[in-house]
Amino acid sequence: MNRFALRTSLAAVGVGLVALLAAGCGSSGDAPPGAKKMAFTLTDAGCEPNSAKASAGPITFEVENAGTSKVTELEVTDGETILGEVENLSDGLSGSFSLTLEKGEYTLYCPGGDDEKGTLTVSGELQAENSPEVEAAIAQYRKYLEENTAGLVAATEPFVAAVVAGNIAKAKALYPAARIPYERIEPVAESFGSLDPRIDARENDVPASEFEGFHRIEKALWVEDSAVGMTPVAKQLLADVEELQAKVKKVELQAVQIANGANELLGEVSASKITGEEERYSHTDLVDFEANVEGAEVAFESVEPLLSKKDPKLAKEIEASFEDVYASLDPYRRGAGFVSYTELSKADTRKLAQEIDALAEELSQVPAQIVS
Amino acid sequence: MTELTRRRLLASAGVGAAGIGLGGAAGYLVGTETAEASDGTGSVPFYGEHQAGIATPAQDRLHFAAFDLVDPSPSALRELLQEWSAAAAEMTAGQMVGDANSVQLAPPDDTGETVGLLPSRLTVTFGFGPSLFERRELRLSGKRPAALREIPPLPADELNAGESGGDLCVQACSDDPQVAFHAIRNLARIGRGTVVMRWSQLGFGRTASTSRSQETPRNLMGFKDGTANIKAEDGEAMDRFVWVGGEGPAWMRGGTYLVTRRIRMLLEIWDRSPLADQEETIGRDKYRGAPLGGSEEFEPLDLEAERSGKPMIPIDAHVRLASASANDGERILRRGYSFTDGVDESLGELEAGLFFICFQRDPERQFVAIQRRLGSFDALNEYIKHVGSAVFAVPPGARSGGYVGETLLG
Repeated sequence: MNRFALRTSLAAVGVGLVALLAAGCGSSGDAPPGAKKMAFTLTDAGCEPNSAKASAGPITFEVENAGTSKVTELEVTDGETILGEVENLSDGLSGSFSLTLEKGEYTLYCPGGDDEKGTLTVSGELQAENSPEVEAAIAQYRKYLEENTAGLVAATEPFVAAVVAGNIAKAKALYPAARIPYERIEPVAESFGSLDPRIDARENDVPASEFEGFHRIEKALWVEDSAVGMTPVAKQLLADVEELQAKVKKVELQAVQIANGANELLGEVSASKITGEEERYSHTDLVDFEANVEGAEVAFESVEPLLSKKDPKLAKEIEASFEDVYASLDPYRRGAGFVSYTELSKADTRKLAQEIDALAEELSQVPAQIVS
Repeated sequence: MTELTRRRLLASAGVGAAGIGLGGAAGYLVGTETAEASDGTGSVPFYGEHQAGIATPAQDRLHFAAFDLVDPSPSALRELLQEWSAAAAEMTAGQMVGDANSVQLAPPDDTGETVGLLPSRLTVTFGFGPSLFERRELRLSGKRPAALREIPPLPADELNAGESGGDLCVQACSDDPQVAFHAIRNLARIGRGTVVMRWSQLGFGRTASTSRSQETPRNLMGFKDGTANIKAEDGEAMDRFVWVGGEGPAWMRGGTYLVTRRIRMLLEIWDRSPLADQEETIGRDKYRGAPLGGSEEFEPLDLEAERSGKPMIPIDAHVRLASASANDGERILRRGYSFTDGVDESLGELEAGLFFICFQRDPERQFVAIQRRLGSFDALNEYIKHVGSAVFAVPPGARSGGYVGETLLG
């Protein structure tokens, strides 16, 4: 579990997209594709026009000083928050910035003018007009999501059956494989409120009475060496992963969210897999480690065509870094699985952590590249 | 020799004061300097109604240490606290510790690394852990305040016993790191045979402002920290939330309770999260410090504000969950420091974060209740781990000639 992800990453991305664009703008900011242009003039009176209407979506504000020394700046604000601005436009200079605005009433602010504040009314719904490349990225990742939620249900069923039957050895053997599909798609699973804590909370993440899911059963099998009392927990787990499968079918996806998800998966590796905290009883952390990396890789590959158009060098570097990470895991492979986490020395985990950090630093550059 | 300031000793030894940046070395008197000056000349009186280092405008550096008692006899503890108070009074005044610093055949009482350094607003604050009251030989169990209990396990804890707890604590704060270090080192030396150091923490930069005269500093996440903190000038808030009053026990009146949490920040992960994510995690604009949706750092949080039907300050934002209005009006006085202790051996990442310190009248009602909520819901949990925890009763200050702890042991 991504520690305490109560916020849905969907919502976060929805807001974040607007904020990212606003933050990245400036007098020379890149205009988003399909941005509508709006022209404004700075005069002694203030912003000209002083009142404007626009449709929700990306807008490029083109601002020119038409001979005033009183006004040198135009800001678009939402309440007190400056969303975008162009400053220091003295007589004859012009500049621009771009924003993606949702429906609402915004302020056009030209400080120093006779009438400093005007209104920008934005109407309509923010339409994500996806290009065919974006649609292809989303479709590819959606397929992966659905494969893995189906795989999660398929792998959880026999695991749950073994727990219910009290077959500890069999349950232990089936446990790591049931974890893999979940760990590959964890950021999406986290977007469904309490579903992730129910399935994947670690013992110290939640009050004792709410400790359930995979890790509660893991503790029973490895620490208590018993499945007594685990039947309701196991049955609930199966119901929860089925609920996840149903919810994932209806989830809305955005390219930037997929790219962010790749980043979050590597954060998971750093925060809880390399430290041995995730699978603290079974010590199968390296299985989850690889699953997180695989999930990040597929997410990355889904958006890679978008990135390659903007920054092919970065795309190649990330590909190479994924290879480095897999190579760093090779010494610890045993058959279809991995050595126990307890066999790793501090020097071993340190090398793994540093490989992940190198990859993640590059990967964190991707979302901003593919939205602009 | 106790009358000599560290500066005077220098002058009399012929070193002179030229290199120190202040004229008139021989006539230098600490008492004439203002306590507020953060250029090194300020000194904060050790004796007073409350211990110093709580309402004192936060100094830039910290050295904190927790000790365990190895000689738990009442007389040894009393003697230790008497000696500690006397030494702390000397050090905070910019004097050397002890009398014997010029005997050729004896090791000097003072370890010497602050000779030539200014008082630098040193404060030394002492506290008693819950485990102290369980030492049977001390017969203090009847005097343990009801409010002094071990911090219970809290959601998201990843505590190391070696960085938690302790029978006694000493918080040394100063604007000069060497002055703070010197205080802990000398007090540990005085305590040898009676106490052993259990853990210690250096803090290299304050992360809270405790006075309206101070700019709000930034923590290692790059955000302003402590904007909404209780300010020492707000006497009403200090009395309501920090100083122990009539609730007792009598020996704690004018004291307070100190909670420390060693909070490791996962800076590598934080650094690669998008700005919008960082700001929504905290609930403030990264650079201006204003609440999301606002424009000024010190404007009140508008927790109702929405945009497009979603709260401007997300429901799991740190400022929302830590705010007084989310916590039945409860507040705490925060006085934490940034730390870094080299490289995490098993991750190769910076071992760094926040050494959180807070003061309050009732840890259970204040810190514990707030942290229970934060540990469960705070978006920040994705980027931090609480690895150390301790709580101490901080008794009131000492009268001149008395000692801290006299109200308990006297």
